[in-house]
Amino acid sequence: MTHPIYTDLEARTRSTFLALMWAFSYPGRIQTLPVGAAFESIAITLLDLETSYFTPDVSLSAHLATTGARALTPERAAYHFYPELTPAALHTLERANPGTMLYPDDGATLVIGAQLGSGETVTLTGAGIKTQQAMNIAGVPAEFWALRSQWHFPMGWDVYFTDGQQVLGLPRSTKISF
Amino acid sequence: MTTSLAALAAPREDYSYAFLDAYAKRELRRRTLKAIAIPGYQVPYASRELPIARGWGTGGLQVTLSLVGPESVIKVIDQGADDSVNAANLRRFITRMSGAATTTDALQATIIQSRHRIPEEVLQENQALVLQVPDPEPLRAVQSDSSKAHEMHADADYGQMWLVLYEQLVRYKQYIQGASYPSLVNGRYVISPSPIPRWDTPKLHQSPHLTLLSAGREKRLYAVPPYTDVRPLEFEDIPFQVEDQRGWICQHTGAQNKFMNEIPLADGTAAYELSDTGYMEKLSAEANGSTRGATYYDDEGNFYHAGYLKPPVQPD
Repeated sequence: MTHPIYTDLEARTRSTFLALMWAFSYPGRIQTLPVGAAFESIAITLLDLETSYFTPDVSLSAHLATTGARALTPERAAYHFYPELTPAALHTLERANPGTMLYPDDGATLVIGAQLGSGETVTLTGAGIKTQQAMNIAGVPAEFWALRSQWHFPMGWDVYFTDGQQVLGLPRSTKISF
Repeated sequence: MTTSLAALAAPREDYSYAFLDAYAKRELRRRTLKAIAIPGYQVPYASRELPIARGWGTGGLQVTLSLVGPESVIKVIDQGADDSVNAANLRRFITRMSGAATTTDALQATIIQSRHRIPEEVLQENQALVLQVPDPEPLRAVQSDSSKAHEMHADADYGQMWLVLYEQLVRYKQYIQGASYPSLVNGRYVISPSPIPRWDTPKLHQSPHLTLLSAGREKRLYAVPPYTDVRPLEFEDIPFQVEDQRGWICQHTGAQNKFMNEIPLADGTAAYELSDTGYMEKLSAEANGSTRGATYYDDEGNFYHAGYLKPPVQPD
């Protein structure tokens, strides 16, 4: 039986979504994004003119604008993109919206470039994790973990770390320890 | 020069893949990710029109359509049955719009869309269970104003839910809520687990699979991620109970301690058959080498998370 055409774009956005969905379902487990730049795959999967983004990276910002999403200030943007967590980037990241008790789903999603599989070992517990899950990550300064831990569930940020085709999810429900 | 028919014809104009347009899918996917990140929180979403009426599974169908691809394997059930009209229509629509394969085997499916049952076999990691939800608001009976109910969720103000349970004990000496038994997810939000029987509610607790619950008419979706605590509301001295179907034996397979359909007979007695037709099919075909997985309840009726269900206690 014929069915509507499964276009290359459809395939890319769908497999990106599935990677992001399983990344939040099983926090700390590495999922694989489809071929293509990771930030671009995530942007075309999630962004359109109904939502907004912030990134300090000028060339990335121009690229994200092609999705139709609005570039907003860090406080108001629904999606933040950081190719690298520099001290300057942390300065804007700390202003990201954690949502409210009434509308926790307004909390921002942060997409951050990091090195997965090397660096310090972080232990994760919480929803989606059977007992505990170890993850190795480099390129994330200690200040980030302090900023993240200032919010208490259900408020908070939902984070994706990407490294090449790899993506790892850290939803707000995940507790971390070192 | 010959002109082919294909060259003369207008280019193929199609439905969007999996029916929903790209905007609808992106919005639904954004909301789905938030729902998983905040277990049990009801996330509003746009809920588009579909070629079936609201109230017939449009919520579940939209979630399924946002997940499905050509390599997916779909199982659709309605009250446990793969062959009911509603399930058959949804299944046919999903496969026509996506080219996905179908199955009745709960363990072969990548996506299981269900109206009001969870299969008997233990679902595995990376399987997605999509439950159709008629009313997502567990507080509806105690607070008809949905804005106020939303505030009560924000405050984790569930005192009135306990009052409802207490009144049931005073009047009937047992919890009488049959389906949609209110349950606390991840220690924070009370959800309606959709009108699954009490029998199925414990299956959401610390499960390997992902559960997505979506109400198309009410335009809300929520999730129970894998390995997340789901606790039916209960007083510590009067534990939550699943349906007592001890002694009910499936007339086709002889199975017991699985969820049964009761079939009234002309002489006033009743016969029973397994509600989960996919599992019944497997039991019937077992001689032909069909393999069945572990079940949530064993043949003696013990739940697979030992100690989760407590022995019954009657109030004085």
